Amino acid sequence: MELILSSAGSYPRIGESPEAQRHRRAYAQQERGEISGAEWRAVEDEVAEQVVREQTAAGLDIVTDGQVRWYDPISHLARNCEGIQINGLLRYFDTNFYFRQPVVSGRIRRRELVLRREFEVARAATDRVVKPVITGPFSLACGSILEGGYRDRQELARAYAEILAHEVADLVHAGAALIQVDEPYLLKHPEEADLVREGIATLAAVRGHAHLALYTFFGDALPLWDEIMAMPVDVVGLDLTYGPKLAERIAEAGTPRSLVLGVIDGRNTKLETRDAVFRILDRALPGVRGPVGLGPSCGLELLPRARARAKLENMVAIAREHAGRDGRSR
Amino acid sequence: MSREKLRKLGLDLPILPTSTVGSFPKPDYLIEARAQATRNAITKTELDRLERKATEFWVGVQEELGLDVLVDGEQYRGDMVAYFAETMPGFAKGGLVRSYGNRYYHKPVMTGPVRWPGPMTVDWWRWTQSLTSRPVKGMLTGPYTLMDWSFDDHYPDRRTACLALAREVRKEVEALLEAGVRIIQIDEPALSVRPDELPFAVEAMHLTVDGLAAYYVVHACFGAFETIYPGLLDLPVDNLDLAISHSALDLLGMFKKDPFTKDLSLGVLDVHSHAVEAAGDVQGRIRRGTSVLPADRIWVDPDCGLKTRTVEESRAKLSAMMAAVRAARAELG
Repeated sequence: MELILSSAGSYPRIGESPEAQRHRRAYAQQERGEISGAEWRAVEDEVAEQVVREQTAAGLDIVTDGQVRWYDPISHLARNCEGIQINGLLRYFDTNFYFRQPVVSGRIRRRELVLRREFEVARAATDRVVKPVITGPFSLACGSILEGGYRDRQELARAYAEILAHEVADLVHAGAALIQVDEPYLLKHPEEADLVREGIATLAAVRGHAHLALYTFFGDALPLWDEIMAMPVDVVGLDLTYGPKLAERIAEAGTPRSLVLGVIDGRNTKLETRDAVFRILDRALPGVRGPVGLGPSCGLELLPRARARAKLENMVAIAREHAGRDGRSR
Repeated sequence: MSREKLRKLGLDLPILPTSTVGSFPKPDYLIEARAQATRNAITKTELDRLERKATEFWVGVQEELGLDVLVDGEQYRGDMVAYFAETMPGFAKGGLVRSYGNRYYHKPVMTGPVRWPGPMTVDWWRWTQSLTSRPVKGMLTGPYTLMDWSFDDHYPDRRTACLALAREVRKEVEALLEAGVRIIQIDEPALSVRPDELPFAVEAMHLTVDGLAAYYVVHACFGAFETIYPGLLDLPVDNLDLAISHSALDLLGMFKKDPFTKDLSLGVLDVHSHAVEAAGDVQGRIRRGTSVLPADRIWVDPDCGLKTRTVEESRAKLSAMMAAVRAARAELG
């Protein structure tokens, strides 16, 4: 079976060499007021283009802009909303990465759409499919502090869903064929699967001809298999680094849905061996009837840049070998 | 109970013993010196002299404030994991990884078998102890956190890496005991990150301390403790130091359901806030602690290392804590 090789979202924005640290230097310069907003945006565009080209060169079929303009997965989408102030840092899951918590004090309203331009810059830099990524409404609600405007997290998640629906519609209008929705907090709150589904349905209602991909990561999706498979999306991305049982479940339960198998560990530097990846693919693939993607378990920004690239190149080489073994060549 | 153990170790501490979690802010001259040292602009001897000067300063502050169990303040450490990773063979300096905004750090990588290189903290402990008649804690980062906060290119899985680290950290514990340390704090802030891994974190702690006589404190912060309690009580240590100041003391409610069986260090100061707590508020937190556990099993400290605060904030926060402890002791008679 031919695998569709896909990015999972974020990508490191700097490398080790001085020339690879342009983003870091410009960031400091814009903080000190030494460069204009336009100059800073130009650097961000340039870094996004590099990141897209790097994924393209590695051999991916579906790439992202690396979310290089995002301060973090939560505050980027909340930043331009009325009713929200951006607060202090909080640890993002069990990573050593921290995000800024949006504080919701009143009804939220989008001041401007932010993702379309990011998508268009990335699309101009590659001939591959560019996949915009958004953090889902439930995860945004979980990462926020609710002080007013809504009674509870459920209401806030619905409000975020309305805002994100405008972004999705705008992306579709701009030509996005595939949009990834990250809902990592679903795995921490399995009891809220209905609320997650409701939020995704709001986005699905405006997706037109585009496909929606739901991604969960930083945990084992096995206990939520049925709920995730019932989500109104076209593609499901799964983190397969939390144990072998999820691949077993895919094989046993089967699914008509298109899956992206997050076999490449986006949180550790060690390169996957061919045998380890083959083992999972050989176990899971017979259970999947739709197209199958292969990708990192999560965005690669938790890795150093050189290792992120090496991970992708290694993944592509393994996938090609796998396809070759099956009598196909990519 | 562990107070008996403390006595056997020759430590007669007052009710509600006070301590800190380990790190103190580095004075400006030391921050500058460390930056110069990375550019080879000053000698290692000069840096060492300034690190000792800063350590001496913090020992003086702790004595002046009346703390019962002192720390060296970690003036010679950049970061709680990096310090050990830079010292232990088997670790390499990793590439840059973003922690937030425009902040990046070199996350260590285990590239081969990790090895204890000989004492890593003993000289600092011995020298700090020579400055004071009060007991000074030995301070180590635990195997689970060393594993979790590093990349691993070498070991087949996280458990194997964690247990390998535990065997090496144990050698540092042995060296500290040989030097005369009686209280050792093992920092495990990562402990609650993956609840399903708690069993091997506990196994690693057994490998680290079993059969080695000292009073052990495990410090864990950033916690989602509801996910690892009461399993946390399986750690073979005497005292659990938990960040409680900004978690609305929910933990104490959990203790009512599953009795807490160890001594508890109540982290009553929020080290992530610039605001200096009112002594009355701190005393209220202590009172909540003594409402669910006997006072002779409670220690009082900040909820994490103070290194992110200024020197002045640290001193003011600790003053408030000590005032609260004095009032609480008076209340307890």
